[in-house]
Amino acid sequence: MNNITNNLYRLLLASLFLVGISSNAFAWKSKDGKWVAHGYIENSSHGRNHTGVSRSRSRGQLEWSRSIGTVGIFRNVSMHGTLRGSYDAAYELNDNNFGDNAGGPVRLQQQFFPAGVPGFGGPLAAGFTAGSVAWGGGLALFNSGGIGGAANPNDGLALLGADLHGGTGTGVGLAYPVRPCDTDSRGCIDGYMDADKQELISPEFNDRADVIREAYIDATIPLNGGKEINFRVGRQQVVWGRTDLFRVLDIVNPVDFSAQNIYEELEDARIPMGILNMEYRAGGGKTFEDLNFQLLWKFEQARPHTLGQGGSTYSILQAGNFFRAMGTCWQVGCTVGNFAVGAGATDFGPGQIGIRRANTPDWDIEDNDIGARVEGVYKGVGFSLNTMYYNSHLPSLRGGITSTDAFTGATGVFPHALAFDIDFPRIFMFGGSADFYVEKIKSAFRIEAAWTTGEEFADTSTSRLFDDSDVMRYVIGWDRPTFIPFLNKNRAFLLSGQLFGQHILNHNLTTGPTGLNVGMVDWKDNWIGTFLIQGFYKNDTVLPRVITAYDVRAQAGTVAPQVEWLVSNNWKITFGANLKFGHGARMFDDNRSAVPYGTLAALTPAPGVGGSTGLGGFEPLGRFRSGPIGMAQAEDEVQISLRYRF
Amino acid sequence: MNTVLRLLTLSLAVFASGMVYAVSDEEIQKSFYPYNGWTPTADGYEPGAVVNQSNVEKYKAILDEALYEFVKNGWVEVQTAATTDFPLSDDYVNATKQHSDGVSLNANGTLNGYVAGRAFPQEPDANDPDAGQKMVWNYQYGFNSGDSESIEPFWWTYRDMKTGKTERVLKFSWHFMNYNHRVTFDPKPEFDNNPAEIFRGIYTKVLEPFDLKDTQLLIHRYQDDTKRDDGWLYLGFQRRVRRLATGQITDAFLGSDLMIEDFEGYNGRVSDYNWTYAGTRNLLLPFYNHNEQNLSADPADDQEGYRFVDVHGKGNCFPNVTYQLRKTYTLEGTPKDPNHPIGKRVINLDSQTMTMASLVTYDKKGDLWKWFPIGKTHSSNHIDRNKGKGVALDDYAVLVDVQAMHCTTLQFKSIITDDVNQPGLFSVQNLRKSGR
Repeated sequence: MNNITNNLYRLLLASLFLVGISSNAFAWKSKDGKWVAHGYIENSSHGRNHTGVSRSRSRGQLEWSRSIGTVGIFRNVSMHGTLRGSYDAAYELNDNNFGDNAGGPVRLQQQFFPAGVPGFGGPLAAGFTAGSVAWGGGLALFNSGGIGGAANPNDGLALLGADLHGGTGTGVGLAYPVRPCDTDSRGCIDGYMDADKQELISPEFNDRADVIREAYIDATIPLNGGKEINFRVGRQQVVWGRTDLFRVLDIVNPVDFSAQNIYEELEDARIPMGILNMEYRAGGGKTFEDLNFQLLWKFEQARPHTLGQGGSTYSILQAGNFFRAMGTCWQVGCTVGNFAVGAGATDFGPGQIGIRRANTPDWDIEDNDIGARVEGVYKGVGFSLNTMYYNSHLPSLRGGITSTDAFTGATGVFPHALAFDIDFPRIFMFGGSADFYVEKIKSAFRIEAAWTTGEEFADTSTSRLFDDSDVMRYVIGWDRPTFIPFLNKNRAFLLSGQLFGQHILNHNLTTGPTGLNVGMVDWKDNWIGTFLIQGFYKNDTVLPRVITAYDVRAQAGTVAPQVEWLVSNNWKITFGANLKFGHGARMFDDNRSAVPYGTLAALTPAPGVGGSTGLGGFEPLGRFRSGPIGMAQAEDEVQISLRYRF
Repeated sequence: MNTVLRLLTLSLAVFASGMVYAVSDEEIQKSFYPYNGWTPTADGYEPGAVVNQSNVEKYKAILDEALYEFVKNGWVEVQTAATTDFPLSDDYVNATKQHSDGVSLNANGTLNGYVAGRAFPQEPDANDPDAGQKMVWNYQYGFNSGDSESIEPFWWTYRDMKTGKTERVLKFSWHFMNYNHRVTFDPKPEFDNNPAEIFRGIYTKVLEPFDLKDTQLLIHRYQDDTKRDDGWLYLGFQRRVRRLATGQITDAFLGSDLMIEDFEGYNGRVSDYNWTYAGTRNLLLPFYNHNEQNLSADPADDQEGYRFVDVHGKGNCFPNVTYQLRKTYTLEGTPKDPNHPIGKRVINLDSQTMTMASLVTYDKKGDLWKWFPIGKTHSSNHIDRNKGKGVALDDYAVLVDVQAMHCTTLQFKSIITDDVNQPGLFSVQNLRKSGR
């Protein structure tokens, strides 16, 4: 694989040079016109405050199509495909932050360790003082001796969320390995977050052959009266819904958030899947101006969103960092800051807390994703009704697995224990959308709503630390081309605003014995607003725009100015920035006050085995309150890309 | 006495329903075949003359106001040729004979009783306060592209008029189809199952350049002229259909010099403007026989050997074609919206075909802003597929923005066909199906 990616990189560089000396490269078409191929090569570089280069990605993409014509009962048969390969040199150029040399030793905080805590074996060892301890220097629980040793060294680590809260505070502290999994396998989760360096650098060259980004066949069976049945079979993107930036109905394909968090164009970030996509076009009738029915069967083995593993350049919610920290705890043990008695750094041995494995969906015909949509136009209003039964693209941390008592070494299922598997529950979604135009205000509106059942959320009030809930999501979008004469008298600016909402119907949040909240970490109701202003200059060859987004509950926002310059029909340069403002880290119950083990119950003044009393901090659950914008508050970036299309 | 009463009653009924007027055969003949036994003339003008900077004053009266300025500036020379007949399809003429008697204007300026053909084939009357309104309807329901037209290839070239530099070339396929008032292609006169009462569908797909490739635009214009068009855009980079806010039709389309309102000469609602008839005159119009022109080398790969009209003149912004002297109606439109950027549209309509030969646009200050001639060839002087279709084919166009010294030339191949132009092509779902 190493050779393949190196060769790809060289090929890209050579191609960039070759096209650089040519100014008139166009799509290739065969003599009979049946084969067409075109594509692009691009270099995209991002610089991040504090950490430097966060992307230096060269990418080549080749799109091709082959017109076939009539085959039996099928008309307009054609094949289409997209091949894509990338090489992100950030893992080489900035390997102190994202590559083989990233991370280092860490110290986990302990606020204090009260002398003479009952049951902890007498006088405290040296180092159990207010301040911090090195990895492996906490209160030693069962079988935790290996932490800090050769197999689990205090190296290549970073404190979880340190960029937001400095790794300090009164909450628990976790550390995660940051180096690629071939350099440091700690915390890597098989089949889910286990990328080696080459897979981080060239993510398309993976076990799922993502280098074949799309490959599908189109065919049509014509019916009487202009009706027809259309088929699109193969790896493809199926886009539902009418929203930008965030998704409500656009759930058919998972998304690669490791490309650039939530900021990558969805067209590039969606993960195409093998799908049988069948549409019956009824067309216009006496009632509807247009009416169509769509059935989807996702026959490729389901896969979740790519969230970005711990130590990668982009990790939405820093969830990958959290998972890697927890994976490390399970696999080789870990030191957790501010844990025991709510304040002492504590060493957990393997198999006691953490993430055991990810149960990614197997291929099973009963577990395939299926969907249906009715879409049409009625009295000028575009509408759709959508439904899908699918494997969640987001992970659920399910507690209640067999783990080891951190005090006695006994194994069992311990209620409230911080021992998890990652699962991807089956979700049923029903929703709809509409768009319409309001002449009086010269505005187009887009609305979507979706109701789901089966989604799971972290819930510190339950014995397995998760619960499911029905969820309602909705969005209203507004578009208006508007002249701003003092900026441009001939070309209107596109103004576009959206307000997304989420309501968790079975939300569970109670006040614990200490007076702090315990329960579901996600907000019961939350909203994210977005606003876009796009200008067009120089015959649409200079395109400035500003996108902003604001998470209401997290009180965190982002503003992304960008200028795109189409130098010619082939060359495009884009300058941009992504700046965050508002609140970063947020706190929530971290379950450290739960008493999962009977032995511990006997040792402490706590009233027996029980759940969390509400002691909390930034980590690890506050991220779900900060949201993707809040959790990236320390990731301000400047960006430049150069693309050549041919 | 009873007869007189009946006539009086009938006359009152006619007035009450909006001045229905019986159209004579002579009027039909004069409207559709003006050059049958008559040739327009102008003092000092002979076909074959070359109008240039040195002699432009001599021909000022037969040049539209913008073209006169351009020739005077030395930006272009106008080659001329003899006037030729551009007979429209017999189907359209017959529909006019059959239905025009029953057509009148409603109080709000919309049409009453219109089925097909030319709504008001009578010679316009300068004393008729509704003459402009009638004329714009003749234009709106003209036979500009027949019932159904496809244009491909269709190249839009953005040019810097000062330097002649080609800035950008957009390549499209473009389709127009009337849902009703059809006279040549089945079903006639209209499609069933048209609950929205769409009058006309416009569909286009961008083939190049790459940043716009796979962008598709769909516009539905409704029978009810007071109803705003609906529009949808498929963006290749978003892979989804986006509803357009169609009210902002003065926006430049894809960065060209054309407003959306400029498509086909005028692409708005009739009711958005006040229209006045500004007289009849003989003007040099870009009407010609395509196959007899000095053509471009593009498109080099056309399988029928078709070549575009070539460009010349300042910035390569002018069609290198012959103009001919033709009877022309001048129609002036002033926007009702006080915030509209245009002060006045002056549309020069070829009287025989009722197609727009040139549009001269003035800004709010009354200064010349844009010039938009649409070159016409008769379908019998085009590719074989168009022969016998009886259409004054759109064959070339340019929008010159005089104030910006910039132009967008439109070079294309029109095909009068219903091969692919069926309602399914003009549906929102087709945007998704065709999307990549």
